[in-house]
Amino acid sequence: MHAPASEPKKRLLRLRLNGRWREDAVGETQLLVDYLREVAHLTGTKTGCDGGECGACTVLVDGEAVPSCITLVARCEGRSVETIEALATQGRLSALQRAFHEKLGAQCGFCTPGMIMAAEALLRDNPAPTEDEIRTALAGNLCRCTGYVKIIEAVRTAVEAGS
Amino acid sequence: MSVDAGTRPPRRGVPLIDGVEKVTGRARYTADLDHAGALVGRILRSPVSHGEIVGLDVSAARNLEGVAAVVTGDDCPYTYGVLPIAMNEYPLARGRVRYRGEPIAAVAAVDAETAQRALELIELKIRELPAYYTPAEARAPDAILLHDNKPGNVEREVHHQFGDIDVGFAAADLVREETFSCAEINHAQIEPHASLSEFDPLTGRLTVQTVSQVGYYLHLMLARCLDMDTSRIRVIKPFIGGGFGARVEALNFEIVTALLARAANGKVLMELSREETFITHRARPHTDIRLKLGMSKTGRMTACELQVVQRGGAYAGYGIITILYAGSLLHGIYDIPAAKYDGYRVYANLPPCGAMRGHGSVDTRHAFETLVDRMARELGLDPFAVRRANLLHAPTRTVNDLVVNSYGLPECLDRVERASGWKERIGRLPPGKGLGMACSHYVSGAAKPIHFTGEPHAVVHLKLDFDGGVTALTGAADIGQGSSTMVAIAVAETLDVSLDRVRVVSADTAVTPKDNGAYSSRITFMVGNAAIDAARKLKELLIATAARKLEARPEDVECENETFRVGHGEQSALRFADVVAAALVNEGAITVKGAFTCPPDAQGGKHRGGAVGSTMGFSYAAQVVEVSVDDATGQVSVDKVWVALDCGRAINPLAVEGQMQGSVWMGMGQALSEETRYLDGLPAHASMLEYRMPTIMDSPPIETHIVESYDPNGPMGAKEASEGALAGFPPALVNAIANAIGIDLNELPATPDRIMDALIERRRKARLSRALKAAS
Amino acid sequence: MSTLLPTFRLAAPRTVAEAIAARRDHPAARFVAGGTDLLVNMRRGISSPDVLIDLSGIDALTEFRIDDNGVTIGAGVTIAALARHEVIAARYRALAQAAASIAGPGHRAMGTVGGNLCLDTRCIYYNQSEWWRHANAYCLKNRGDTCHVAPQGQRCHAAFSGDLAPALLVLGAEIDVLGEQGLRRLPLSQLYIEDGKAHLALADGELITAVRLPPAPPASAYAKIRTRAAIDFPLAGVAVALATSGPAIASLDVALTGTNSRPFLLAGTDALAGRAIDDKLLAEVDRLVQKQVQPMRTTLTSANYRRVAAAALARRLIADLRPA
Repeated sequence: MHAPASEPKKRLLRLRLNGRWREDAVGETQLLVDYLREVAHLTGTKTGCDGGECGACTVLVDGEAVPSCITLVARCEGRSVETIEALATQGRLSALQRAFHEKLGAQCGFCTPGMIMAAEALLRDNPAPTEDEIRTALAGNLCRCTGYVKIIEAVRTAVEAGS
Repeated sequence: MSVDAGTRPPRRGVPLIDGVEKVTGRARYTADLDHAGALVGRILRSPVSHGEIVGLDVSAARNLEGVAAVVTGDDCPYTYGVLPIAMNEYPLARGRVRYRGEPIAAVAAVDAETAQRALELIELKIRELPAYYTPAEARAPDAILLHDNKPGNVEREVHHQFGDIDVGFAAADLVREETFSCAEINHAQIEPHASLSEFDPLTGRLTVQTVSQVGYYLHLMLARCLDMDTSRIRVIKPFIGGGFGARVEALNFEIVTALLARAANGKVLMELSREETFITHRARPHTDIRLKLGMSKTGRMTACELQVVQRGGAYAGYGIITILYAGSLLHGIYDIPAAKYDGYRVYANLPPCGAMRGHGSVDTRHAFETLVDRMARELGLDPFAVRRANLLHAPTRTVNDLVVNSYGLPECLDRVERASGWKERIGRLPPGKGLGMACSHYVSGAAKPIHFTGEPHAVVHLKLDFDGGVTALTGAADIGQGSSTMVAIAVAETLDVSLDRVRVVSADTAVTPKDNGAYSSRITFMVGNAAIDAARKLKELLIATAARKLEARPEDVECENETFRVGHGEQSALRFADVVAAALVNEGAITVKGAFTCPPDAQGGKHRGGAVGSTMGFSYAAQVVEVSVDDATGQVSVDKVWVALDCGRAINPLAVEGQMQGSVWMGMGQALSEETRYLDGLPAHASMLEYRMPTIMDSPPIETHIVESYDPNGPMGAKEASEGALAGFPPALVNAIANAIGIDLNELPATPDRIMDALIERRRKARLSRALKAAS
Repeated sequence: MSTLLPTFRLAAPRTVAEAIAARRDHPAARFVAGGTDLLVNMRRGISSPDVLIDLSGIDALTEFRIDDNGVTIGAGVTIAALARHEVIAARYRALAQAAASIAGPGHRAMGTVGGNLCLDTRCIYYNQSEWWRHANAYCLKNRGDTCHVAPQGQRCHAAFSGDLAPALLVLGAEIDVLGEQGLRRLPLSQLYIEDGKAHLALADGELITAVRLPPAPPASAYAKIRTRAAIDFPLAGVAVALATSGPAIASLDVALTGTNSRPFLLAGTDALAGRAIDDKLLAEVDRLVQKQVQPMRTTLTSANYRRVAAAALARRLIADLRPA
């Protein structure tokens, strides 16, 4: 590994995390996933691969589902970041969470937060997606337990609940 | 099949009792646990495939500021391994490395940067030795031995013969022999490996929270490798992000993390990268198979000769069991009158293989079901008819002494044949489309555990206290398959209390009774039976209490919906809470124990290795796969799967469907795209990009049909549901490809390049034969 | 635990001029747009620039203009935005198809047009961890002196696998490149060099700012082969633009990706003008493709397969674009 050109620098970062503005001193090289897990202590967002290959770390940045493991947190300045922890409000599961629970869209549960966030981005943009659209929106999220059958069923159930 | 099969209404599916935690992100997996103040662990891995360590200097690393501990093979002179008879691996290499990626040293430091820097400061000198990457190379006469006590680099040879194969083959109308090659694959559970270890020097106690499927095995190996008394060790299972067999054995990084924690007198978190998780491996070996089968004109099998060569990797691991399963599970599904099996588990300078879903059975089943289909075609028989011509009749014992008590395969065949429209559609599909089918089975737990201690196969404790809550304590690890939910259902139903009243505490060796863990699909059958046994005892106790209060005889007390009553009089009804309060008088909190033991007659034949494959109950599956094959690009897409599984009785049909879909789909990954090859011993597929597990875009609808044969010994009649359907997929796919484009593939996975090679070869042969014809 | 990345400083210019200036001040810096390629490589220690110049704050790079002169697509436009643009889908179908097929939706939301055009070349010996590459004595593309794909050869054979380039090539795209010397415009085909180690003909510090497409392109389509239907890079990708006059070819352009160190336009298709699109013509195209592609063992899938499959895709796309 090369020697650093200068000492790693921290900067004050302001972003809106799950609806609340907050400020943190973050390293310029810090990834969003590490910020969420280690600084904000939101461990719902998972790391499943060595970078950008599995979708387990999917979160919403300004409403778009992105892999947080290849996103520098410093680039989230002034933006809105949402994680799985934001979905259940006022003691109620979101429609997607409820459907994933009741339809067994989650087995081991490790891909689930990323999967639900990818589905969340889809449903905000397109409240009545076709099965093809559901598949396309979840194409970057790997699951090893379900064969995706009940994941698709869960998203469809959430769509029906929302319509 | 038992007489009342299909007559009882299906049970209601229940969401997982820990599902809310999973969908909210609250579920804590190992890397999510509180690790404030924990040191960061990192492992130095061998850069070469085979060599002698001639220099290892860790002094600079040890002296680096921020490094709390450095450990090497010197810190652990004890071998470990899952089989008591085959422990030949050190957590950190001693003297010799045998595969690229083998752990050599490890550091614990204040942060990841320092830990990384410390690794770079370790001076390592290795004198390279010749490395072998195939069984043929390793078995060559001049090959040096990976392990001195294993001549020919063969870990285990198995030679079994049952019945008279000469007579069988002589009686056959058709005898065919083929060779098959199945690539090595990996579990690739989405959670990378991680372990959090804390050693408290003041009390001398070690607490390990880790991804293990079998905390008990790890507990034993930690005691052995750290030379500690087992009573000072506690192994806790947090939420686990899948296992599929990857985490049955105690794994090197788990022991290394504990070694670091002790050396540092503190807490160490080890998170492996995805690449390291792949290198830790322990999955399905590359397997070469030669299969010879005799068949009568009517499709009746007369004899079978099977040879299996598994490339096991550098250490024993589970290898002996895998090579035994590959032969024994040829049986238990059809009536094969005579069979010969020769198995060879061979060492190679690659990461060690181990147990993976369908352990040992999958590649054998693939070869068998594929060859059966081809012979059926040659004889002009329908694939379903050939299977039906060879069914078992339960209860029975197979030629290799496996007991079969319940057998729903005939109904599985009927169900998928009907659902897929097989009779109407086969042979009438448009070009490039095809249908294929195959059957499979799997054990509901090994009837003889590998650590044979004389204890029951499963023990469950139930605690009932002043709060009226029933806590089920089980050592069985829920790794996502829903086993804790199964325990809760079994307890709640037996007690006739609401499911919410039951809480399950799973897999904490300080709290829960020992369990052999999550492997060989044993939990539903064994732990389920133990849970029911415990709940019955608790119910008996509560009924006795109620009877006392009601001044009635226990046999007259009925318990329904958390109410105890005699007859229908409301005055004589007692609420659950009242009965609990009465039961606690003079007693205090109640604990009861339930247990389950497999009887000796189910524990396999007397021949060497005869215990492997033995089980109380086999699950059975049949499936039909519909494919489209693009003969211009060789690409195969799976359009639909129909699968039927005899799981005895579906205790939780929702979870059973999930397991059926998941196992069929995992079989699809192996069949279509997954493989782990190596480039001079370096893993070529050690990422989620190169390890090509199917995406949602590649994954078909999977229609499930649950068949219930009510096993006489299963809990509520249940058998396993998580593995049995896997092995049928690869042969069903290959049979469907043959149906679609007339190509017979003998190699897995059926990647586009392999299909294309076969198409090119066929064209070449056609040209050749045309030319020959023209010339003659 | 925190992921280890090489240490770097992050610069956030607001204009292209500031970006160019930042690059002049830090010659070892790298531009970063979506980061879906660079960040992965940095995590593996393949790339360790001392400064990252973040282009995402430059509004001028996200221009998306459609007028009589054609289409101007800023280099910072995301692949997702390109994929869902109605005009692109209607008139520049190959481009829309290519964009929609890239990686997964998360990558498309972050990745940009400029980033995809400048995608690093890939190889099974290169896209590996530091431990892996170190154990393999590195390679010609990164810190080593041997190409493991062709050890006797003198050059790196890593393959280019961007999807947008072939579509843009057959659609006649030009690119705007800004550097110290000002702005230059060149045909996209001139951006690429058949060298896996240095496949971009950009001078030090130059930045692609926009892609320009002519207003009335012929019908086009893009298809690729990969093991899985998402996430994977193309083993071979083919774009075709076909104009016909009656049953005959007026113009035919074919471009390929995934097979060579650069995306390239198939040579020899000019000679096919005037020909009917029949099996004979398709066989000729097949031969042209098989002759000109140079797949090497940079992927685990065999080189010969990529050659044959590329040709099959070209045949199929032309046949499908043939007027009914």
